Amino acid sequence: MTGDALKGQEIFQATMHEAALRAAQGELPKDRLWLFRDARGRCLEASESEMQAEEVEMEEHEIAAWAPKQIAQLEPGQLAIWIAGAPEPQRSALALFYLDHFNHEDLLALIELKPAEFSKYIANGRQQFQSWLNASFPHEPA
Amino acid sequence: MKMPSLSRRQRMLVLCAPFNEQRITDRAMRAAVFRVKKADEFSHQQFFDRAVADLIEKTPMPPEVAEWFTKETTVAPPKRTWKTIATNPAIVAIGIAVVVIATVFAFRLMERMSDFPGADTARKLLTTASSSRPIMLDPIKTDAGALGDLFFMKHRLNHYDVPPEFADLKTLGCRVFDDEEGHRVAQIWVVEKRLQFFLFPAERNPKSGEVREFSDWRYVEQEGWTGVVKQKNGVCFMAALRGRERELTPYLSKAKP
Repeated sequence: MTGDALKGQEIFQATMHEAALRAAQGELPKDRLWLFRDARGRCLEASESEMQAEEVEMEEHEIAAWAPKQIAQLEPGQLAIWIAGAPEPQRSALALFYLDHFNHEDLLALIELKPAEFSKYIANGRQQFQSWLNASFPHEPA
Repeated sequence: MKMPSLSRRQRMLVLCAPFNEQRITDRAMRAAVFRVKKADEFSHQQFFDRAVADLIEKTPMPPEVAEWFTKETTVAPPKRTWKTIATNPAIVAIGIAVVVIATVFAFRLMERMSDFPGADTARKLLTTASSSRPIMLDPIKTDAGALGDLFFMKHRLNHYDVPPEFADLKTLGCRVFDDEEGHRVAQIWVVEKRLQFFLFPAERNPKSGEVREFSDWRYVEQEGWTGVVKQKNGVCFMAALRGRERELTPYLSKAKP
């Protein structure tokens, strides 16, 4: 979400601190996704205070059969930076979708998107990422 | 394999389908994924997603964060609400089955509650009425009320009298036959509304031999035919026609004292 491990850790600790305080006061919210909602909110706040990337229309390519090989050449940090650079709410949609932690209903509830919007952000994100992969690691047919 | 044709909603669901099957809890999404499972396009999407997820898994995590961040403790399982239980197809199917069974049971119960001694015989005779043709009867043109004497004189059938409500109707023909149980049944065909009359022995208690009495007129229905039955002196009279109860009601309301 932030593209920065240190910032991510700070947000994580702040969220856990908030949770511990609330628990001590017996005020933990009933919302079972509260922890993630809070963490996401803090990520958004943190990125708002930063310099914003200029919005550019990204090219979209069809998902290629060789995409897994291209992805395997990446470092986790590169992927994190790519996702963190996506505009909201696409960034949240991609980050939480690929975390493999939530089911579809939870994702929609967490990001507060309609199914069609969520689907569009994921599908477009995939194709934009494929386009970036094609530019960064061109496929060479054997 | 080519992508099968999908509805707009299915297409939408397939595009954001979780790459981990365990995360597919939505029924509609599971159905959509099942349809495209063998399609190349969907396979590429799934391999792509898994590759991205694998890369995310490799993201180094500080140990102090890792010990907190376990999948088992952060998200509580969703609560099952009444709505989710009520919309479960198995529950809906059971509900429909119970309603159907209850309706059939209630219908049968109501039918039995309105039954009277001799109702089964009356229903059988309604079936006879539906298959009877005028040619089967001996032609006789008189008032229906006058046939009681004929049945007594010619067939020794005592009390086989047409009630006053129907006694004035003109007849076309009549016959006497034995039913399946050997009971003597008199059948009369009248001109009006193609009405048919039946006179048959009232039901008796097999132990005591006493007639099982019932009061007033009782309706009975069978395969689009309706009969109205009255018992007097151990003999049942039934007026029958193809139609509804309301077509017989006017005859009963003009009862003579």
